[in-house]
Amino acid sequence: MTPMIDVVFQLIIFFVVTLKMTTDVNPDIVLEDGKNGVTLTQDNMPPSTLEIELDRRGRISIHNATMSPSMLTTIIKNRINRHGNEFPVLIRADRRTQHEKVRKVMDICTGAGIWKLSFLAIQEHKGEKKE
Amino acid sequence: MAYQRKQNKGDSPKLDMTPMIDVVFQLLIFFVVTLKQEDILAKLSAARPAPNTDEEVKNKDPELINVIVAPQGFILNGRPMRLPELDRGIERFSGYSKSAMVIIKCTADSPHAFLVQVLDVCNKHGMTNLSIFSM
Repeated sequence: MTPMIDVVFQLIIFFVVTLKMTTDVNPDIVLEDGKNGVTLTQDNMPPSTLEIELDRRGRISIHNATMSPSMLTTIIKNRINRHGNEFPVLIRADRRTQHEKVRKVMDICTGAGIWKLSFLAIQEHKGEKKE
Repeated sequence: MAYQRKQNKGDSPKLDMTPMIDVVFQLLIFFVVTLKQEDILAKLSAARPAPNTDEEVKNKDPELINVIVAPQGFILNGRPMRLPELDRGIERFSGYSKSAMVIIKCTADSPHAFLVQVLDVCNKHGMTNLSIFSM
């Protein structure tokens, strides 16, 4: 029995270590439908992509971690230092968010020198797309 | 007591493994099921050639299409309308020129959904020159 138990414990430790328990997207955000945008693929979403989430009350988060606007500014500036200002920025804003909240995020991005922003929408519940 | 101790002396105690193995298998199955395989290809960064933007700049049109996004609906070049009319309006403009500048002005209290709808309509008719203003 002992070798089998050894193997099973090894497997368990492997899965515990590789498991990602928390979701890295804010689940409360409802996206607007958009049938005609560019579909997100691995090609147009390089690893340097920054996805900023904005819920209906205007709370900013990245990978479901809430942060203040000044924190977002710091993050964007650090990223520009590392990747230049050519990395894509996606704004995942809730459809009910008021535009002034979206504007604040856009202002932070343009203030840091990023002018190419994309908004995420959903394509008939099949997949996400940007426009 | 003394008698019992004498009895157990010599042979090793036997541990019942079955419940532990059951639990361990349950855990194993849980982790196998909840494991999400991360895509390695998505994390690879490759240098791609930059797109050639010279042609787009050359035949740039000075035409302007003005869309105002308000909480009640849209205003296209001064005429208030809803999404189907806006769709037709943008379709008409796209017939003349796809590279005409579309200026989208959003009021502060308009929902983000409207902005996405305008962007979607512009994308549908192939308008390439979009810029968003806040007011």
